Amino acid sequence: MLQPSPPRAGQAPPPKDAARPTVGERLVRILYPSHSSATPLRWLALAMLALAVVFPLLGGPFYTRLAIESFLLGAVALSVDILLGYAGLLSLGQAAYFGLAAYVSALMYLHVTQSFWLVALTAVAVVAVFSLVLGAVAIRAKGVYFALITFGAAEILSKIAHNTRAIGGSDGLIGIPVPSIPLLPGVAIDLHNNVAFYYAVLCVLVLIYLGTRRILDTGFGAVLRAIRDNSDRVPYLGYNAFWYKLFAYIMAAQVAAFGGLIYPLLRGFVAPHLFGFEVSTKAVVMSLVGGVGTLLGPLAGSVIVTFLESLVGSYTERHLLVLGVIFIVFVLFLPDGLIGLARRLTAARGKAGP
Amino acid sequence: MEELLGYLHVVVLPQVVDALIIGVALALVALGLTMIFGLLDVINLAHGDLYMLGGYAAFTLLGWGAGYWSALVLVPILVGIVGWGLEELGIRPLLPRADRAIVTLLLTFGVSLILRDVAQVVWGTETYAVAAPFTGIASFADVFVPTYRIFVFGVGVAAIFATWWLLYRTRIGAVLRATAVDPPMVASFGIPIRWVYGFTFLYGCGLAGLAGVLLGPIYAVFPTMGHDFLVMAFAVVIVGGMGSVIGAVVAALLLAQVQGLASLWIPPVWAETLVYGVMLLVLVARPAGLFNRLGEA
Repeated sequence: MLQPSPPRAGQAPPPKDAARPTVGERLVRILYPSHSSATPLRWLALAMLALAVVFPLLGGPFYTRLAIESFLLGAVALSVDILLGYAGLLSLGQAAYFGLAAYVSALMYLHVTQSFWLVALTAVAVVAVFSLVLGAVAIRAKGVYFALITFGAAEILSKIAHNTRAIGGSDGLIGIPVPSIPLLPGVAIDLHNNVAFYYAVLCVLVLIYLGTRRILDTGFGAVLRAIRDNSDRVPYLGYNAFWYKLFAYIMAAQVAAFGGLIYPLLRGFVAPHLFGFEVSTKAVVMSLVGGVGTLLGPLAGSVIVTFLESLVGSYTERHLLVLGVIFIVFVLFLPDGLIGLARRLTAARGKAGP
Repeated sequence: MEELLGYLHVVVLPQVVDALIIGVALALVALGLTMIFGLLDVINLAHGDLYMLGGYAAFTLLGWGAGYWSALVLVPILVGIVGWGLEELGIRPLLPRADRAIVTLLLTFGVSLILRDVAQVVWGTETYAVAAPFTGIASFADVFVPTYRIFVFGVGVAAIFATWWLLYRTRIGAVLRATAVDPPMVASFGIPIRWVYGFTFLYGCGLAGLAGVLLGPIYAVFPTMGHDFLVMAFAVVIVGGMGSVIGAVVAALLLAQVQGLASLWIPPVWAETLVYGVMLLVLVARPAGLFNRLGEA
């Protein structure tokens, strides 16, 4: 049907003896930005950052904590965008890493240690191992299969958490102590202080955003986009698509895990629904609303969707319905999200202007 | 030896019979999914919720005083029409897009969320029992099976054979199979493709509705019933081969047995995980599933 025809057997394989780039050359190529299309986005990013910096001064503690939650979910949305916008992989199960990191973090605080850095290290390791294994399986399956496998994996994790008494079963774990995070000797972040908590999460999120942007602006990101656009041709250029996708998957898992790592400290509990389809779905909705493939869009989308949900939630409990409607409206009418809409509007004004 | 035979007879055999009946119902849901994927490249994530809708529609019709038999006929038609509406209004505008596999998946996901919440608004979050039309218990060789389950098995098998006959022995089936391979060629014969797609959704979703009516009296109806069933149905479709009709039936029977037998020895939740493990193994060994796609056999 729509599938491109498979490469014919008679065609010449890529020449083997052609000058291969040395490791150093490859490293340079990977680290060097291949494109810089971000100027209009940069202004938007700075405006959003300015808004985020002044926000805790305006909103009360409730809204400050809600904003922190939107940042944590924003990390999950960002991870969806890394996969969907750059590698063309739709993951319906990013909540798996959000939930996994949240449970690891909660269990460590309750039973093992109070050291934030030790907990963070463990969560990173667990998520890395899990994403390596699941990613290696899921990426072998192409297109829609990938979406289904990730969806199913998160569902299964949620079911296991729901049915395992030792980790709280359907009630989850409550009463997670809030630690203070030592930064330098003598300097620590006290998470009981909402404003400090807010700025700490904001700082890390900005660093994650910039780091992701940097990594995806390099040759690595270019190869990923090439895989997204035509995965059959990429191997003929000498790139093994599998490893690029796998690295993107592991990277996205770590980004989503950041949200999970902090979540128990914000809300004081973890529950099986953190793995569930609702978190995964929200993350996809957020990227759709903001604009897939922009990295900035999902962050804006997460703030919009979280606050919208809170607003709707004060009138009705039907927030799934609201998510569903947003989903459909954006899929049918605004496929490139709010950032895409803004781009089209500015382009139209530019043309219409004198 | 005697002990082993007794164990097989008393413990294992009833479980096998039970799993066989569940497998047939599972096959009905999976058949619709796989036909829709085979023809349109669309993964219908709202399929489980159409199954749920079938259960609730049966509950409501019975509550209004309709007989079980009229519900058995009416509900699949109603659910089929809902599915057809979904195709007409939601899926069709997206089909020309290059990334249609992903956007239609997202769309049906949104529809699924809406249906689930609408069901909660209309019917609330309680679990309802649907009255079975008859309540006897039959026994064959000391294995006791409720008569209703035998009835479910019979209707399910009949529906599966009807689907096979429709696809492989009628002109409509020939058109459907041809469309799965080459839609422009079918269109050039003067056959309106949009009707073919509409019919596929009508029929596939109707089967999900039928499964909803049939299983309603066994499992009762609740808002997340479709969601729970969907993951299993996708495992079936992936193992059988996306778009394969025979594969859906074989894999449904197989996976229902795996789950049924495994839950004898391990907790049921791990049995479900085991089914998922089987699916992953099949994906690694044979990514396209066990059987060929519709029209390619």
